[in-house]
Amino acid sequence: MVTMLTPKPKRIQEFKLPTGVLSAALSEDQDCVACACIDGVYLLKLDSGELKKLYQHGSYVSSIEWLSSEVIVSAGYDGDLCWFDVTKQEEIRRVHAHQFWSWDMALSSDRKRIATVTGQYIAGGYKYEPQSEREPSLCILDAISGKKLHELPHVPSVQAVAISPDNRLVSAANLMGEVRVYELGSGELVKQWTTSDFTSWGIIKSHSYLGGVFSMRFTPESDAVLLAGMGPMRDPMAGNGKQLWQKWSLSPESPELLDQTHEGQAGEGLMEALAVEASLPFFVMGGRLRGGDWNAAFFDLASGDRLTTLKTGYRITDARFHRGGDHFLLAGATSQGGLKKQGGFRDYGRVELYETVAEEPKE
Amino acid sequence: MTKRGCGSPEHTLHRRLFLQGGMAATASSVASFSGLFSIPAFAANAKASGKKVILLWLCGAPSQFETWDPKSGTETGGPFRSIPTALPGVHVSELMPRCATIMDKLAVIRSMKTGPSEHFQGIDALTRGDTPRPPFTRPILGSVIAEQLGDLDSPVPQFVLLDPCPEGNEFKSFKAGNWAGWLGAEYGPIRAGGDYSIPNLDKLETISDLDHEDRETLRQFLSRKYENDRRSEAAASYNAAFNRVRGLMSCAPLFDLEQLPKADRERYGRGAFSQHALQARHLIENGSTFVMVANGMPWDNHVFQHEMHQMLVPELDNVLYQLVTDLKDRDMLDDTLVIAMGEFGRTPWLNEARGRDHYPNAWSLAMAGGGIRGGVVHGATDSLGVEVVDGVADHRNLFSTIFSALGIDPHHEYELPGLPTFHRVEGKAVAIKELLV
Repeated sequence: MVTMLTPKPKRIQEFKLPTGVLSAALSEDQDCVACACIDGVYLLKLDSGELKKLYQHGSYVSSIEWLSSEVIVSAGYDGDLCWFDVTKQEEIRRVHAHQFWSWDMALSSDRKRIATVTGQYIAGGYKYEPQSEREPSLCILDAISGKKLHELPHVPSVQAVAISPDNRLVSAANLMGEVRVYELGSGELVKQWTTSDFTSWGIIKSHSYLGGVFSMRFTPESDAVLLAGMGPMRDPMAGNGKQLWQKWSLSPESPELLDQTHEGQAGEGLMEALAVEASLPFFVMGGRLRGGDWNAAFFDLASGDRLTTLKTGYRITDARFHRGGDHFLLAGATSQGGLKKQGGFRDYGRVELYETVAEEPKE
Repeated sequence: MTKRGCGSPEHTLHRRLFLQGGMAATASSVASFSGLFSIPAFAANAKASGKKVILLWLCGAPSQFETWDPKSGTETGGPFRSIPTALPGVHVSELMPRCATIMDKLAVIRSMKTGPSEHFQGIDALTRGDTPRPPFTRPILGSVIAEQLGDLDSPVPQFVLLDPCPEGNEFKSFKAGNWAGWLGAEYGPIRAGGDYSIPNLDKLETISDLDHEDRETLRQFLSRKYENDRRSEAAASYNAAFNRVRGLMSCAPLFDLEQLPKADRERYGRGAFSQHALQARHLIENGSTFVMVANGMPWDNHVFQHEMHQMLVPELDNVLYQLVTDLKDRDMLDDTLVIAMGEFGRTPWLNEARGRDHYPNAWSLAMAGGGIRGGVVHGATDSLGVEVVDGVADHRNLFSTIFSALGIDPHHEYELPGLPTFHRVEGKAVAIKELLV
């Protein structure tokens, strides 16, 4: 267990995968990584680098979690959730949770509940306001049986979901920056607010909405949520919005914006990953570098100050702490590149393992 | 085959009849444009006046993988699946379920291979039929069609561009001459839609109809005198513009989205592009010859490729379905060519932002009606959509096909005193015969 305040990340392993990695999770024994990739689910052995494709979804695989030391569950753009026994190498169950994509999936810390979010952005007004949902946007399932427990409403597209560390709340956020917080057990809506800071309406080029919240995590005390995405852009196709996080209080009074990316501490690019660890006083945000000099950074949970940065050379889609914060994992993708002369494409998926290497601050 | 306003009594009569009909419609605030033509003979005349075109201009360039040439399950296929269509063995993206049911009425070219890979050059090639040759400005397709098939005597604008946002695309800075080029400003578009609403078209209440006509007669006399005395092209352009405004005043209800039937508005969809596509149908029904519908430049998805295409393609799917079905139901499809295309396609491979970049080497477009044979898929790309392997066609072949379908000589030589030799389509490029009725 680390006891420090200042992270000094050191990369210890790096791997290339055939296609982009949209989510990755380290196994309990820390020997392998389950990777949700554009073309299927892979198991990556850390000691040998051996890579094995386990199975496929009908489309991109968007999220993956370990339910136990043997079983993983994945979600995909086919709307399916798939339970798979890694030891037996066999599929346990497949549940069609959504008609459209599962944009994101979260597993409760007690591994009893799964939350998955969906929603297709369809024009609902002259200025392309989103149409109301055609299916429930948030689905809560029993992680063991796969049974649907709650199907809860939101406004499409709902792109990020998180379950609080105390397993009491589930939160989901959408294209328009609307956040809805429900009781995980009852499905009762307890909080609802909108932040417009992650959403663009293209003054030039694209006269529609783009962006929204792309990642969400609760703070260790479950009393606030962190949101990540990209600030508004005049030209949404530029992808040059501010690398943005916001911290919102879940106090009994109305939700309150507590903090956000500090002035002068962000470049440009979509942020898609947040990682929070109960034992650590900081969090990680990662994504794409469009302008500036970093695409992953550590921020102090209390002050919001940026502590240290990384420039990985690829777009980060997932970030996770492991071993109580001793290690963290980044996953993502580079450009697919053109067709090679000999055929096929280069390996453009990335998984990297880092030591957090945190130190006490000097006097 | 140039057709210009002849000033015949018949046309004069029609204009007056139209004016009467237009005023009656405005006064009664009818919910449908059918009320605009209170004199049935006029509506019938508009319907029978020849071939028309609706160009759904997909500016920014849509992805062929997420529309007409899916490669699902391959390394380039993207996240969307393919679905079967009304044509056995032909699949399109799952984002196009409605068009899948009318593929027997659509013609798809899957083998477009064009040179320019940047927007300005691509837009030139695909809206004018050729790459730029400064300082000469080749007229845009709508101007050529308006000049060839339009009725300049009609108060209804012959070439209309419906595009809601001035900041939207490369057309922002276009002047009339940029559109019509050497054909002359009178063949440029009337630009309307959204932020381009046409203001101040109502005649002042303090001016009587008789007074209004007298003022117009005096203006025409003075302008023609000035034009004759000075041989002024500027005065001619000014007169052309004034005449168009005068025509617009009489058909202002055609540009009022609020007067479109509510059920039609719901059926076409609520986004600006959908609403303007419906408006395009009404304009065509009521006498316009060429209506170009754009919505800024939304298809240029270097980032958010799949997030944007999940919204844009279903909108296009519905708009194309509704247009083709409506035109068929109204017995207008044979005479109305509908084209849906952008300036190029998107790369088979994903960039670092998981977007698709510009790709002119192998891309797709769709057409229907107006002399184009339905139920044809022309050409093919390889298994990954990287290269055209059959039926390669470029912008010249496309324009040759469009002109041929409309009965316009594609290889006509322009009479341009003092200018080099230009043809409607250069290089004697041939039409794609299997697409022609």
